[in-house]
Amino acid sequence: MLVTWKYRPRDTFIQRLDPRTRIIMLACMVVAFTVFWDLRVVLPLAALSFALFGLARIEWRDVKRAVLFISAFAIILVIVNAILGARGAPPSVRADVSPVVWQSPEIVIGSWHWAFRITAARIMFMISQLLRFLGMAFMAIPIPYTLDPELYGATFRQLGVPDKPSYSIDLAFRLVPTLARDFGITIDAQRARGYELDKVKGGLFERIRRLAPIIVPVVIQSIVDGEEIIDAMELRGFGVGKRTWTRHLHYRPVDYAIIAVGLVFAVVCTLMGLLQIAADVWLPPLLLSLAG
Amino acid sequence: MSQLPLVIKHLSFKYRNRPTYALQDVSLELKPGELVVVAGTSGCGKTTLIRCINGLIPRSYKGDLEGTMLFNGVGASTFSLAKLSQMVGTLLQDPEKQILGSQVKSEVAFGPENLGLPREEIAARVNEALDRLGIGYLRDRETFSISGGEKQKAALAGLLAMRPNILLLDEPLASLDPASAREALAVFRKLADEGASILLVEHRVEDTLATNPDRIMYLKDGCVKYLGKPDGLADAVDWREVKLPAPQVIRRVQTSGQPSRPSAPPPDRQLRATHAAPVIVFDRVSFGYGEGPDILKDVSLEIRTGETVAILGPNGAGKSTLIKHAIGLLHPRRGRVLVEGKDTRELSVAQVAHTIGYAFQSPTHMLFAPTVNEELAFGPHNLGYPQNEIDDSVAASVSILNLNGLESYPPLSLSFGQQKRVTIACVVAMRSKILALDEPTAGQDFGNYMSFMDSILLNEGKASDGKPVVSNFDAVLFITHDLDLAVTYASRVILVADGAIAADGMPETVLKDYALLQRCRVVPTSLLAENIRLLPQTGKFQRAESLAAVR
Repeated sequence: MLVTWKYRPRDTFIQRLDPRTRIIMLACMVVAFTVFWDLRVVLPLAALSFALFGLARIEWRDVKRAVLFISAFAIILVIVNAILGARGAPPSVRADVSPVVWQSPEIVIGSWHWAFRITAARIMFMISQLLRFLGMAFMAIPIPYTLDPELYGATFRQLGVPDKPSYSIDLAFRLVPTLARDFGITIDAQRARGYELDKVKGGLFERIRRLAPIIVPVVIQSIVDGEEIIDAMELRGFGVGKRTWTRHLHYRPVDYAIIAVGLVFAVVCTLMGLLQIAADVWLPPLLLSLAG
Repeated sequence: MSQLPLVIKHLSFKYRNRPTYALQDVSLELKPGELVVVAGTSGCGKTTLIRCINGLIPRSYKGDLEGTMLFNGVGASTFSLAKLSQMVGTLLQDPEKQILGSQVKSEVAFGPENLGLPREEIAARVNEALDRLGIGYLRDRETFSISGGEKQKAALAGLLAMRPNILLLDEPLASLDPASAREALAVFRKLADEGASILLVEHRVEDTLATNPDRIMYLKDGCVKYLGKPDGLADAVDWREVKLPAPQVIRRVQTSGQPSRPSAPPPDRQLRATHAAPVIVFDRVSFGYGEGPDILKDVSLEIRTGETVAILGPNGAGKSTLIKHAIGLLHPRRGRVLVEGKDTRELSVAQVAHTIGYAFQSPTHMLFAPTVNEELAFGPHNLGYPQNEIDDSVAASVSILNLNGLESYPPLSLSFGQQKRVTIACVVAMRSKILALDEPTAGQDFGNYMSFMDSILLNEGKASDGKPVVSNFDAVLFITHDLDLAVTYASRVILVADGAIAADGMPETVLKDYALLQRCRVVPTSLLAENIRLLPQTGKFQRAESLAAVR
């Protein structure tokens, strides 16, 4: 059975908004984040995102795991990316022409010299990219916890998405916590058979092979559940014609105002992007002075 | 005749890529307000028949379909699935698989929404369906938070909102506790009395008699072996294959002279148990998830060598939570659980698995290996047994659970009933001292589960070469909704209700108290009633065929 996220009704500004407003705002913020690299713009944007996250007033114990996991993932990704290729960075970062802030001792093998160098531009790229990731994530994380599961499908339908994709999104939203529950049951069932997850050792492929007792049942369970959901939907006439969505959403003036601000904001950001405003990393004088 | 809701003539179906017919020459006429029970063992074609009627065959499941099917005199093939869904409502075996809405009201509205009806009409239909089943109070509840019986009523309301005149109910009692099952049956009868034509597919034949069915159809290997009044069924079927009411079994065995199966004596009750040291001790255990309320409340009990313990009680009472504490998957909020004298907090689950083997309820949550043999070897291998011992215990488990011939099959390709037996075999193969089973009879034929329970509990199983198979567990615990399983096999019954032990003792004492059973949502069966009636002569509970010898 599909289970839902830990949603609970809260009388907050965020939850009083029409869900569509929140999806549109999320899209506008994503647009803004993707345009800028200048920390002087990215930082306020991220601060706005964190503030909105705070306004959602979700209990920390509910989101703790999601926040910690996503943050750790983002930090690792950003550091690895900055060290390796700086993919997606503005040309000035990849050119590596800014002053070097730190350099490792040189490794000499025969006539080959190598040292790890980190430039001011790469440091600023790292910080900006991390804030861009986290800013977008903190806009998205509250949605499953603060959006009534009853409204998933209706929200997207009333945003103009057709019936079938809207209901698919509804099911997909609920698939994530369902998968988590199935994982829990399977891990328990295999532990009861003497399987110890922390004793899975060996090379990458060996580890994957030894994870089969967990992976296979969860995948198969999802496929079986999927087929049963399709049967249950077909037996009740899903997909045979245009459907009615009983839940009907209504914008309030505050929704219109926020959407208007959001859209103007997104358009301005896009224009700034086209004009290459704040599109490069900012090198603070303090950092440059450190580089000497 | 042409106006009958459903007429099936000479229906046969063979799934694509299967060599044999799943259904052969089935004919049935269903009148308005008629309730027909369809019974049969696993693989008899019950589910295929339902799929043919509700249109999933041939639309979703391809194969060779022959014969004719008429709805109100019109050929089935002329109807679209949308139209068909308004004439035929199908209640799937597990309401959990059927429910799509996150709240009860959206679940009930789902069908009418798909028909594109106006919102006002959908609202009216939702209210009507909820009121008809008396579950208006569930309207705004989240579907995953309601009980099994309530889920089923919500799923049924979802069908009624489509206003079908035919209802197909596919093993609707399988996941319900006995009291919920009894309530569900009363609802089915009421719907039939209101004019719905109902096909109730169920292998728990005895239970379905509570609906006072008009007719019973018995299917075997896809063919109709019996179709007629309920009274005639007992003489038409083998009582070892289909669970019949105890008085009918007794009469059949008495009239046939000798019982055709040796009547097994109940296990050697209490003799070994009384003086043995306890293997599992629950010492004032309380437990709840997160910061939620207590699910187990101050539970104290001891399990000793030699005991066969049946744990009975309604869904959500805390039965599985109790066992999960014993194997160390859960730890108490207050109190402690000792396994062989050691606190489970100090043991890993793998260490406890040497003492207690626990078979989870759902097979698909644990099966993964490419063959049955490898699946069975997984547990013993994890516990570090030498290869020759693993081979021996795998072979013995295959015999005990009637899996002979399936050793090299992928477990996930087997039927649900077979998968369930593989999960039990997996744990039997671990040779833990204590075996704990969660709903071992779910999805199993009567003949099959009696056979493996005999093997596990009475050590009278036989391998395919005729050699006896001995399982030799120090103690066996089983959670069940099947009261007759407790009557037949248990040396001790624990009734759990609302997270606490409501009663604990010998079945002859505990199960005699009907008021107590009612409080724990356990419904007395005819076998229990016969046993209580004959208890002065027998002194202990016995299976139906053994009672035949008591005059």
